[in-house]
Amino acid sequence: MKRVLILALLVVFSSPALSSAGEDGAGILKQRCAKCHDLTGPAPQTIRKLWERDAPDLFYAGNKFRREWLVEWMQKPVRIRPAGVNYLRTINSAPTQKKEVKDKNYDVLYGAVLRPLKHLKLKPAEAEAVATALMKLKPHDKNVAGFKLDRTKDVGLDKGEVLFDKVYGCLSCHQIEPGYGGYTGAEVYTAGRRLQPEFMLSYITRPKNWDPKIWMPNGNVKPDDLQRIVNYLITLSKEDFSAAK
Amino acid sequence: MQLNKILFVIAVLMFIAAPAAYAEEAYLNYKSYCMQCHGMHGKGDGVNVPAMNVRPRDHSDNKYMMTRTNTEIYKAIKFGGPAVNKSIKMPAWGDVLTEEEINQMVGHIRTLCCEREIIRGVNFK
Repeated sequence: MKRVLILALLVVFSSPALSSAGEDGAGILKQRCAKCHDLTGPAPQTIRKLWERDAPDLFYAGNKFRREWLVEWMQKPVRIRPAGVNYLRTINSAPTQKKEVKDKNYDVLYGAVLRPLKHLKLKPAEAEAVATALMKLKPHDKNVAGFKLDRTKDVGLDKGEVLFDKVYGCLSCHQIEPGYGGYTGAEVYTAGRRLQPEFMLSYITRPKNWDPKIWMPNGNVKPDDLQRIVNYLITLSKEDFSAAK
Repeated sequence: MQLNKILFVIAVLMFIAAPAAYAEEAYLNYKSYCMQCHGMHGKGDGVNVPAMNVRPRDHSDNKYMMTRTNTEIYKAIKFGGPAVNKSIKMPAWGDVLTEEEINQMVGHIRTLCCEREIIRGVNFK
C-alpha cells in the first residue's frame, strides 16, 4: 500500500515538470499562454467580445513585436498598459458623487494605479523558444506592406512631443514617460524598443485594421507627421527612464 | 406560393436582424469609447482627466448642452473637436463608429443629463 502511495505521489509531483520540460516554443505557447492570450485570431468583432479580453492578442505577434524585446520581457514581465488591457475592470466610478467626498473629481483606477503585473516568468531558453514561435505568427503581412520608416524625418524630442501632445492629442491616453500621460493606452516610451516601426506606422494610420473595435481612434495623421511621430517614439525609447520610475 | 412565403420570411428577418447585427448600442459605445475621458457617467470625469490640459465636456451639464445643436454634437463626434472650434483632444470617431451609431450616440448624449441610468446586458464590474 505504501509503495502505491509513494508511486502516486511521485507521479503527481513529476508530471508538471515533465509537461513543462518541452523546449518547443509552440508547445509552451499552447500550454501556458493560450488560456489568456488569443493565438489564433481573429480579433474581437463586437464590443461585448472586446470586453471579454483580458490579455493582448498574440496571433499577429510576428507582425508587431521586436524579437529582442520579447525575449527580454518574457523573462522580466512588467506592466505596459497602466490601466490594464481591459481597463473597464480597473475603473472605480460612482454614479452620483457625494458632496462630502471632495477629493474625487474624476474616475480613478482601483488600488494603486501602477500595480505590478501578474504574468508568467520564463527561463532564458524558454523565452528564446517562445519568441521564435511568436515571430512566426504573421497573418497581417498585407497591413504592413507599403509602410517604410524614413529616418531622415527625425525631428527630435521637443518637436516630437509637440506633435504627440498638442497637434494630435495622443498624450491624453498614452504616457511618454513613467507617470506622465493618460492611463487607457499603452505606454509609448518603450514603444520604439517593443514594436516594429512598420507596425507602428500601420497601426497609427488605422488602428481598426488590426483590432476592429479597439478604443484608439483614427487620428487622421498626415503621412509626413506619421513618419515624424514614429521617429520620435524610436528616439524617445532610447532615453533612460529608470530614474523616473 | 411556397417561394413567396420564404421570400416574405427572409424580408422580415432582414428587417429584424440586420440593424441589431450591424450597429452597436449607443450605450455600449459610450461606455467603451467616450468614457475614457468623459467618464463612466458622462460627467466629464474620465480616468484620463488628470493627464489632460483640457477638461472634457460634462455631458450631464444641461445648461451647457442645451446651447448645442444636434448637428454640432454630430460634427464633434464624427470630425473631432476642431470641426466645432473645440480642442484637438477630442478625436474624430468617424472611422470607428458608423453613421447610424453616431446618430444614436447624439441621442444617447441627450439622455445623460436627465435619465437615470439602467444597467443593461453587460456587467461592467
